Parts: sequence; C-alpha cells; structure tokens
Amino acid sequence: MTSPVWKIHRNGLFWLLVAFAAVIVLHADHLPSWILLAALVATIWRIQLYRSAWRPPSRLIKTGLLGLCLAGLVVEYGSPVGLEPMVALLVSAYLLKLLEMHHRRDAYLVVFLAFFITALDALFDQSIGNTLYIIGCLLLVLAALLGLHGSDADDGQLRPFGKAMAIMVQALPLMLLLFILMPRLGALWSVPMQQQSAKTGVTDTMSPGDFSRLGRSGELAFRVSFEGAIPAQQNLYWRGLVLAEFDGRTWSRSPLSRFQDSSLVQWYGDPPKSWDQRIERKGEPLTFSVVIEPTQQRWLYALDTPKPDSEGVGLTRDYRLISAYPLRSKKQYRVNSWPEHRLEAQGLSSQHRAVYLQLPEEFNPRTRELASRWRKTVSDDRELVSRVLTLYNSEFVYTLQPPQLGTHSVDEFLFDSQRGFCEHFAGSFVFFMRAAGIPARVVAGYQGGERHPDDYLVVRQYDAHAWAEIWLEGRGWVRVDPTAVVAPQRIEQDLQSVLGSETDFLADSPVSLVRFRHIGWLNQLRLQIESLNYNWALWVLGYDQIQTAFLRNLLGDNSPWRIALALTGVGGGLLLLLGFWVLLPRRRERSRDLLDREFLRLCQKLEKAGFPRQVGEGPRDYARRVAESRPELARDLVEVTRMYETMRYAGETPDAQTLARTIRTLRVNRSG
Amino acid sequence: MISRFRQFFQQLYARWLGHRLPPARQVQLNTRSLFIFPSKAGFSFVLLVVLCWLVATNYENNLVFGITCLLTAIFVVAILHSFANLSGLNISCSRVSSGHAGHPLTIELVLHQSGKRLRENLIFAFDGHEPVAIDIAATEEARVKLGFVPASRGLIDPGRLCVESLYPLGLFRVWTQIDLNIRCLVYPSPQTALNRRTTASPMDGGEGLIVQILEGGEDFIGLSDYRPGDSPKRIAWKQFAREQGLYTKHYGSAQDERLWLDWDAFPGLDTEARLSRLCGLLLSIVPLDIPYGLKLPGLTIAPNTTDSHRLQVLRELALFGLPDRGGEW
Repeated sequence: MTSPVWKIHRNGLFWLLVAFAAVIVLHADHLPSWILLAALVATIWRIQLYRSAWRPPSRLIKTGLLGLCLAGLVVEYGSPVGLEPMVALLVSAYLLKLLEMHHRRDAYLVVFLAFFITALDALFDQSIGNTLYIIGCLLLVLAALLGLHGSDADDGQLRPFGKAMAIMVQALPLMLLLFILMPRLGALWSVPMQQQSAKTGVTDTMSPGDFSRLGRSGELAFRVSFEGAIPAQQNLYWRGLVLAEFDGRTWSRSPLSRFQDSSLVQWYGDPPKSWDQRIERKGEPLTFSVVIEPTQQRWLYALDTPKPDSEGVGLTRDYRLISAYPLRSKKQYRVNSWPEHRLEAQGLSSQHRAVYLQLPEEFNPRTRELASRWRKTVSDDRELVSRVLTLYNSEFVYTLQPPQLGTHSVDEFLFDSQRGFCEHFAGSFVFFMRAAGIPARVVAGYQGGERHPDDYLVVRQYDAHAWAEIWLEGRGWVRVDPTAVVAPQRIEQDLQSVLGSETDFLADSPVSLVRFRHIGWLNQLRLQIESLNYNWALWVLGYDQIQTAFLRNLLGDNSPWRIALALTGVGGGLLLLLGFWVLLPRRRERSRDLLDREFLRLCQKLEKAGFPRQVGEGPRDYARRVAESRPELARDLVEVTRMYETMRYAGETPDAQTLARTIRTLRVNRSG
Repeated sequence: MISRFRQFFQQLYARWLGHRLPPARQVQLNTRSLFIFPSKAGFSFVLLVVLCWLVATNYENNLVFGITCLLTAIFVVAILHSFANLSGLNISCSRVSSGHAGHPLTIELVLHQSGKRLRENLIFAFDGHEPVAIDIAATEEARVKLGFVPASRGLIDPGRLCVESLYPLGLFRVWTQIDLNIRCLVYPSPQTALNRRTTASPMDGGEGLIVQILEGGEDFIGLSDYRPGDSPKRIAWKQFAREQGLYTKHYGSAQDERLWLDWDAFPGLDTEARLSRLCGLLLSIVPLDIPYGLKLPGLTIAPNTTDSHRLQVLRELALFGLPDRGGEW
C-alpha cells in the first residue's frame, strides 16, 4: 500500500528522465550547446533530488537559473521572434520545471511540455527517419505520463512502456481516420519562421558566384510528375524568378515583380485580368504536379507558359507562378503549361520597355561600347543575338570555379577571364542585349532534372540555372540560354555530365548518394529511397493538397455532412471494437486450463486401468479410492493430487509442465 | 445564499445517487455505477491538443497535424483504458472492526474480479478520510483495509465509499460512490472515570455492594490517558512501547470483588457523558479480572468476567437509547 499523497516514485521518474533525454536529443541540432549542458545538469540534479542527496534549488537559485537561461537566449538569438528562440525557450522551461516538481500538476506540466516540444520538432525536419524518431519520443513521453499513475512495484518498471505502446497502437486507426478526414483550414495568422533560412535554394538576387554555390549541393529542390510523357531534357526550363533590375553587380527583382499590386497577380479561380489576353496559348498543354520542398519563399517553379490549377497559386504579370503564402512546408501544386506560346507579341508598353532596358551608366564601359558598335553594323535583332552567342561559343569555358570578378564584372568576364557559370553567361548576355537596345531580362530557376524509374522527375539544387529572355518585335518574349551554347551537355543531360569531375561539384553534400550514381546497386538503393521519400512527401506531408480530391474519390462527395458522417460512423465502429477488446474481462490464464488438461489425462490413464472417475467425485476422493485397490500407486497418486490441488485452488503458481511430467512418469498397469 | 444553493444541489445529488446506486452488500462496478469525467490534467491535455492544432494549421504542417490527430486519438482511447481499470470489479465489505467513537476502526473490503486484469492505483476512501491506494495484481481477489473514524457511538454508517482511479494517463477520473450497507458497532468514546478524586459507584438502593476504588492502593486497577503532571513512574511503558499511546497506570485497592457499572453513579451528567464514563470504567476494570455488571435504566446485566459478557456490556453501552438497534447485530 502506498500513500496517495503525491511524490514522484522511481518508476515515474525513470520514464520522465528517459523521455526528457530523448526530447532533448531530438532537438539537439538546433539548440545552443549550453542548453544541452544545462539539460545534463538538470538531469543529474533531478536524480540526486530523488535520492535525497541534493537539496531542491532554492527560490534564489531558481530565479538565477531562469535569468541565466533568458540572458543566454537573448545573447544567442537577439530577438525572441522566430522558431528557434521559441523552441529554446520552451526547452529551458522544460528543464527548469524538471527541478521543481512538488505536485502532480508540476509533473503534468513537464509531460505536456515534452509533448509540445516533440511536436514542434516536426517543423524542422519532416523526413521519414525523423518522423519515426518523433513517434518514438511521443511513446516515451506517453510512458512517462503513465509512470506518474502506475504502481511503484519493482516488477513494474517496464510496465508503463508496454501500456503506452498498447495505447499508442490502439490510437493509430483513429489517428489515421482523423488525419484523412479532418479538414485543413490553412494558416490563420502569420507565424515566426525558421531563422536558418540561409538554406540552399535559388534566391531573388543573382550575383556572380550564387549559382555556382548551388552546384555544390545535392539537396532536393522539387519533384514533378507529369500526366503523360516527360518532355525532352533540353525543354525542361523551370522558370521561377524574373530578375530585371541591375545595379552593376547584382541582378534583382524589379518593383513590377514583387507582387505588391494585386492587379499584377491572377489567382487561381479569379476572373482573367486584362493582361491575360497578352498571352497566346497554342496547342495542347502539358499537365504536371510539383511537390516543392519548403523554401520560406513564395515563388514556385513551372514550365513555360504556365497556368495554375491549384488553390492558392497565382500567375504573375511576368508569367511566373507564386504561392499565396511563403512555403513553410512541402507544397504540392498542379500546373497546365503551353510549350507553344507567344507572350506580349502585340508590343511592349513603354513602362515595361524602360524596365527591361534599364542599365546603370557607370559600369562596364567596354561591353557597352562593343554593343553599340555591333548594333550599328547589325540591324536585325536575331542576327545580333546569334553573333553574341557565337562569341560565347568560340572562347568561353563553363566551370563551377570561375575566377573572382571586380567592379566591372561583365567587362572582366567577357574580355578577360571568359570562364564562368550560368549566372555569368546569363547576366552578361542580358547586359549586352540591353546595351544594344533589346529588352531583356534574367530568369532564374532550374533546368533539367533526374528521371526516376517510377516516372517522375527529381530536381536538385545543382540543377539551379539562370538564363535570359529577350523581347523581339512581332515575336514577344523568347528564351535564350547562352549556357547551352557553351556547354550543350549541361542542358541535354545534366550538370554532372559536364562538371562531375570538378572538385566543387556536390562539395557540400559529401555523402550524397548522387555522388555514387555510377555504382549500380548503390544507385538502385538511392532510387528506391528517393521513391519512398517522394511518396511520403506526396501522401503524408502534402496530404492537405490532395485531400479534397482524395475525399471526393473516397466518399463520393466531400461535403461537411459526408465527412462528419464518415468520422462518426467509422470512428464509432473503431471505438466499439476497441471497447470490446479493452473492457471485456480478461480470460483466465491458460495455465489454469493446462492444469485441468493434465488432470484429465491422469483420469484417462486411470480409466484405462479400470478405474473410471465417478460423477461428482473430487480429485482427492478419486485418488483415495484408486489407492485402496492399488496400494502400490498410493504414494504417487496422493502426490499428484496434492500438486494439482495446490496449483489449482490454493493459489500456488501453476506449473503445468511439472504436473505433466509427474503424471507421465506414473505407470499404471491394467489391474488383474 | 451560495452555500444554500450548494446545499440544495448536494442534497439533490445525494438523492439522485441514492436512487441510482442504492445500498447493496456487494456492488459490481460497471457502466451503471461508474462515473467518468476529464480531470484537470485532461482539460490541460485538450488545451495541448488545441495548441498543437494551431501550430499545425498556421505552419501548414501535416506532420504536426498528424501528431495532433495522434494525441486526440490517445485522449479518446484513454477513456476506455481509464474505465477498464475499475470496470468489472466487485466490491463487498468483509470485516468491520468495532471501536470507540473518535477512534479509528478498520473496515476491510474484498475486491473480486472475474478475470485476471492488472489494475493499478485504485484509490479507496470513506468520505473525509485518508485515502488508500492499492494495485490489484492479476489475481481474482484482493483485500483492502480502510480506516474510519466514527464521530459518535451506535450502529454507524460510514457513508458512501469513494473508489477512484486516474490510471493510466491521468486524463480521466473514473469514480464511484457506493453504499455497501456497512454498519459499524461503535462504542462510546471511553472517558476515564478515574479523576483525581476517587470515583465510586455508590448504590442508593442499599442492595448490592458499594465499591470504592481508592487511589494509592496496591492493586493495578486500570489505565487512563496520560496527563501532564502524572508521575513518570506511573506511565504505562509497555503500552507506549506497543505504540498504543501514552497512558498512566492507576493503582488502588478494591474493597469488593464485584463491581457495578451504574448509570446512576454519575448524577448531573447527560446520557453521552455517562455512557462515556461507564465505558472508560469498563475498560479500566477489564484487566483486573473481577466480575462486573451493568445497570442501565431498564436493563441490568449480572456481573461476570467472560469475554462475551464484556462484548455484551459494550454493545449495550453502544446502543443504549438508540432507536435503531440493528437487529442483526
């Protein structure tokens, strides 16, 4: 008997600390190291508290610790806004509360904090592996909660875990049902983002060296599945950003391209804006779905010229796609694209013309001079373009390790170094075109992608690419990729085929399996993992995007009534089943039945020997009766009967095997 | 005003409870007798789920959404497990010790189940008394001893037994308040009749024997509660070592071998005070092993020394003047 007055007992504390360790390790990669140290100290202190070896922290020390943690967080993060500081704050509260458990409600707070902190980790990493780890953590925290209410018996140490496992497994069907049926509302208000947004990916500015850095990373950018065949590699230009403003070194978005003006974005489902007529779409569209990794940005990638087919996606005035919200998690969207199209063939407004001809005066005099010289001799725009491309083709080298460039970056690139990556080619080309009076712009995005055997396309960071678009009278915007002239394999195959031997290729992903593509079985494994991840992203992480369609297939209709009906119907059924399973009294343990079986075997044995058991005759009377006529058996029979009776009725631990052995050794010969 | 309302609702609840769970010797805990409601922690857990849902929604994160669903499902499944921890248990009272008013007595319950379920952390208590928590291992029968301090003498009903469980997750409180029809025979609270001045039981009818118990004699005549100022030599160390409390031994000399516990010996006192003193006197006489009798208005029990005699005398003292004499006792 234990006193119900609450004090955490050994089994409870054990699981609480195990869960604590697991949760801290879960978050270790984005917590400052001093918090990890503090967690260790808190754990040791907590154990010493339990052993009554140390005293609980006094009010002064507690206040001091709290102040220290807060000061540490301020020093570490500066501003309290953001996901990491928030998690770090919660973790500090978690470890301080661990030292201050005087009531059961304190322990509840510790456990609930652990649940919440565990859930928050899913904002940082949504891979399958991390998900499994999160589930493990939840299991341990659940065991900790159970430990607070279970017994302190010595044999009960592992019991909370077993029970937690049972509850978790029983909760799974219901969880799945809720996950599938519960409607997603979409963000209610804006929330702090992860501060580590210095993630790899295409940014909204382009300076020399930006794209070559992306070439060092094998990280996933997005995956695409086509309804129909995947177009040829050299047509896969994933347009993401239009960079029209140049300050002499960096290309960035023009004000026109920052979607501040709602008239410049046509959202899915909106009536067509006036500028929609400026797009001529011809032929059959390509239809594809993209699952994009979180970029914390709003722009999306699509083939030319796109039209969104998903809620929350819009088409901008410069014919790109954007999302209504920054991509905080993976997002899936569907697009129709018309490869045959004409954009603004009717003419360019003077305002747009000015934007796409803008150049800073004081930079790159040599290029400007060459451009105006060529402009004088060549009147046809197309001919001028081909002349510039020929220039690139003759001398230039495509490399991931271009030399550093100075103030007049375009001049130095075109006339001196002549070694560069796509941003050098695209940037210098657009500069040249503008200097020659042709409206032009830089487009940033991805080119190509790896075809997965399961018939979808995987686009990685090293597929990042920049190219140019120029506007031709009577034709509209036309894509020109100077890189394709210098390194055609880059466009027709991929970066690895051109630069795979360069040491910088994939330098940031040293263990990436992409590196070992040439080893057959390893490549097979890589593709299988990739496929698993894709399905995970498609069906679980991106479920909210396909929920509407999925429910329509499943229920025939996705009205709230149907969903509510399915939820209560299936959920009620599940609970009913579970109720039977949990509430029905446990059957008597089999060991007891086994005892009876052994005893019946003895009866059969004796019956064969001519001593059938009479109706209503107890084991002891039966044994006595047999023993009277077969005195030589008396001792054994008494022994067996005693054994059976004590095991069966006196609460002795049933041991059917011993009983069986004894009965087997009993030799009963037929009498007479 | 508020307390009046509260009283009203408490009465209403008591009446409803009496209707729903009428007194019975044995009660099986089932859907009829068990109540379940989220505990404070349960409501906090709901808050946690809402918080997780907000994170999932605002970050549009399906993984956090999945975790939210899992927590919700765990909450729902916990209902069944909480209920199962008490459901199917049969409770009956096996033994009630007798005792004196104001002193704890023990009520032993038998818990019986028709299967082998491990039940953890069941909490038993009579209203206003120290709760007792037990685990029931996977056996069919268990016993639990509860303390109960009766306030007055007589055949006392300890009130409803509250059985409660928070296992497994503490999110739900499952409880019942059952009336096991228990009656405890409670003797009057013994009050020592041996004050500083010698107490006697003078007879007024002249019949019978006058007994004088004189302090300072040779014979041990009984114990009384220790009072500051009593000589340490007189402290009953043996009883103290047995942790029965601190008593002072009294010595005297009995001039007669037969003793009457006489109602009329305490003029001017009310019924309860008289009974308490008679009871105290009885307790101090019993160790002397001299025959004693009882005289109450309308009842006389002849002197004797046997155990059953003692119990009969105690019983009469317990039930004197009470309408409900509990035929079965």
